[in-house]
Amino acid sequence: MKRRSRTMDRAKASCWTKRAREGRWWMTVIPLYGFTILFVALPILYLIVLSFLTRAQTWGVVNQLTLENYARIVKPVYLNTFKESFQLAILTTITTLAVGYPFGYFMARLPKKRKTMMMLLVVIPFWTSALMRMYGWIIIFRSNGILDKLLMWLGVTEKPLKLLYSYPAVLVGMIYSLLPFMILSVYSSTDKMDWSLVEAARDLGATRLEAFLTVTVKMTLPGILSGIVLVFIPSMGLFFIADILGGGKVMLVGNLIQNQLQSGRDWPFAAALSVMLMIFTSIMIWLYRRLSGVKDLEGLL
Amino acid sequence: MRKTWKKSAALTAAALLAASLSGCGGSGQNDGTKAPETAATEANQEAAESPETEEAKQDKAEEKPSGGGELNIYTWAEYVPQSVIDRFEEETGIRVNYTNFEANEEMLAKLETSNGGDYDIVIASDYIIKIAADEGLVKEIDKEKVPNYENIDPVFQNFFYDPENTMTVPYGPGIPLLVYDPSMVSCEITGYESLWDPSLEDSVALMDSERVVMGMALKTMGESFNTEDLDVIRAAGDKLMELAPNVRVLSQNQTQDYLLSGEVNAAFLFTSQVVLALADNPELEVVYPEEGLGFGVDAAFIPANAPNSDNAHAFLNFILDGEVGAEVSQQTYYLCPNKAAYEFLPEEFQKSLVISTDDIPNGEFIQDVGAEATALHEEIWTEFKAKLD
Amino acid sequence: MKKKRLRFASIYQAALLLLMYLPIVVVVVYSFHASKSTIRWQGWSLDWYRKLAGNRGLLEALKNSLILAGLSSGAAGVIGTLGAVGMARVSWRSKGAVEYISTLPIMIPEIILGMVFMAFFAAVGLPFGMVTLVLGHTSFCIPYVFMMVKSSLVGLDKSLGEAAKDLGASEIRVFFDITLPLIMPAVLSGMLLAFAMSLDDVVISIFVTGARTNTLPIRIYTQLKSGVTPEINALCTIMLAVTFVMVGLSRMLGKKAPIN
Repeated sequence: MKRRSRTMDRAKASCWTKRAREGRWWMTVIPLYGFTILFVALPILYLIVLSFLTRAQTWGVVNQLTLENYARIVKPVYLNTFKESFQLAILTTITTLAVGYPFGYFMARLPKKRKTMMMLLVVIPFWTSALMRMYGWIIIFRSNGILDKLLMWLGVTEKPLKLLYSYPAVLVGMIYSLLPFMILSVYSSTDKMDWSLVEAARDLGATRLEAFLTVTVKMTLPGILSGIVLVFIPSMGLFFIADILGGGKVMLVGNLIQNQLQSGRDWPFAAALSVMLMIFTSIMIWLYRRLSGVKDLEGLL
Repeated sequence: MRKTWKKSAALTAAALLAASLSGCGGSGQNDGTKAPETAATEANQEAAESPETEEAKQDKAEEKPSGGGELNIYTWAEYVPQSVIDRFEEETGIRVNYTNFEANEEMLAKLETSNGGDYDIVIASDYIIKIAADEGLVKEIDKEKVPNYENIDPVFQNFFYDPENTMTVPYGPGIPLLVYDPSMVSCEITGYESLWDPSLEDSVALMDSERVVMGMALKTMGESFNTEDLDVIRAAGDKLMELAPNVRVLSQNQTQDYLLSGEVNAAFLFTSQVVLALADNPELEVVYPEEGLGFGVDAAFIPANAPNSDNAHAFLNFILDGEVGAEVSQQTYYLCPNKAAYEFLPEEFQKSLVISTDDIPNGEFIQDVGAEATALHEEIWTEFKAKLD
Repeated sequence: MKKKRLRFASIYQAALLLLMYLPIVVVVVYSFHASKSTIRWQGWSLDWYRKLAGNRGLLEALKNSLILAGLSSGAAGVIGTLGAVGMARVSWRSKGAVEYISTLPIMIPEIILGMVFMAFFAAVGLPFGMVTLVLGHTSFCIPYVFMMVKSSLVGLDKSLGEAAKDLGASEIRVFFDITLPLIMPAVLSGMLLAFAMSLDDVVISIFVTGARTNTLPIRIYTQLKSGVTPEINALCTIMLAVTFVMVGLSRMLGKKAPIN
């Protein structure tokens, strides 16, 4: 943040540095501090405490400290669930980025009036119940469904396909559900980009692609990062997509926790699984931040 | 300035944390040693002195009390038909608040948090009612206030969760059955064992519930659903793994659609789903598994500290009325536990909803098994799912 | 050359939007279906709309959901935006930790978060109902707004703000006249997403709501016993129609007002 000699410096250095007088700005963070401490930190402390307690024979929790819940997670069955969830989350995140980045980028280049319009068009589908949208997909993709009939009518296939209730179906459902997060993240950081820098790079002889890779991508990196975080995190825990599009056959950490709380009635183990998921997700995001070398984004997780 | 603020925030946080920890002790445990909170919970059954209940009462006072008062019903969505609720409101002037949970366990956690208060009528499944009753969260029904109580068909009484018939009114009993499409299935299906047949590869739909599916495996071995013998459960688990190649879908909701659309050729369905499947395709075959039937009852009860206990009794009496009971069964597609309702049921419903009550004595409930057995069931289930995809 | 790129951009956007709306078209079509079953088409009908009109419980749940989503995305919009802007300016040592903790609600599966909230609100003595719903929802709405705004602040041009200040504008003026318009797309994106998340949350709502407040998703997701009825399709269709009419109207009004 202290480099001053390069062209990009203008965009990178910001008025939000230490140099700027703090003045009374601390007042603006009070609501966030208050809310976070009261309604997030305290409940999560309770969650952590819960993860060290023992389940009762039939119902509830016994106030007896144990490490048993964490010891159980190491069993291959449960580690395997973490592994599968992780793979799916990575795949979802990468695909969402590949599909969503161009959309968000193009969106930011639209004329001003159409931008807001497009933003709404992207979000409105997600204001209807996700369950209903999943049923919509099922009606399209199921055996003898709309797609099957269309393909058979066109003569592409002869008999009904079995497209649903599989790993790929879950992946598609995840991408579909999380795409708007990526699109809007990329859009909101591309939107205020200084396009003169791209032109400057072009004037200095960079090809369009070079200019894109060196300038545009760098400058939209905060958006990419927040998009990745907003997609990766939920994709570890979204269980109802696995239940509906995966036909209950794909078990993710989210499903596992759900099961332990409901039919298993083992709250401490569910809490321990959640704590592990929390730690694991945090490490992934921290690692990502380190590897991508985004030093300017300190604090953006 | 900033420092002092931080300090006081830390203090508040610490105080709240202490409060939350002592509170969470009260939110559910029944071990041998009995924490003081638990004892208090039990002593509190009648006198609603806990802070939560008082808060709830204040909350109530703020909201407008209507002429006949209120009734808070807690169950699955659309399980009590809107028409029945409307009619009850009209006849009694009581305003009904209808709220929902997805899983029985969510209901019990909520009920425990409010110490058996907040809700007036809960409709939930048999095994959870047993746990709720053991936790002292269920109120005894005053039969003087429910003259229609005698309309209950005795076939649906004296079950494990309410052996003396003092606390519950059966609402939606059912027997899960195997249904298959004879035009698509080449092997003969007579019971659970048939589902293991290799010809059914990738074409079976099961319920997404480990106790039900494990129960099938246990039954094929001649064991009870509720065995606590870990070795037997493990053996059933091994057997279950062999079923994996045949399973196309695990689902709780609208499973009959998979059968009707041809996605699967055989399915294990709840009673309501069996009825709906047959209504859409009468060619389907229904099988009463030869290894033994399962059985389940959703029943209504009044929580121990229900705020509007009189209205709750009035509601129980109302749904036990013959005409209303018939309306309920016709809308929910479960068996009809109401003798007086039979005459109001149209003929096609009589066939599907009443006849199979003969089989009830042969059915076995799925009940709570201890912590170790439950944990093992969960573990096998996770392994089974990993094998599926 | 430029034109060609623009054409590609429009085609790409249109195709993706089409895909996003595809399942919704199915939902809308089946709201006019004569039967509850989705297996075979059995003719058109307005029955479900008629049933919906008579379903007081469902409509009340919708009202609660809209209020809840409005309040929590609004609260998250204010807390998250102020927080992100302020955090960029203060240099407290605790800020990293608080930022991290504030994003935890979206890292934990809803079901356990819901249970923890339930225990917590009961311990604090808050009566379950709209208040606890708004608190619970605000907690998972804040991260969306906060992260969106934060990432849009990173590259902001400092010279603008300083130039304005040199010209004698107060910090508050600078914030409202310069900073806020620049980060507005991010604030809006965050709030729209938060609204969507709140409008469709079921698990946390089940745990933190009381005996008098049902929300639409609770009503939809808990229809296990009956299977989801097409009344929900009808409701979704009406919601979409109303949203589009509102968007269309605001656009028409926006065209007349030169400020936009």
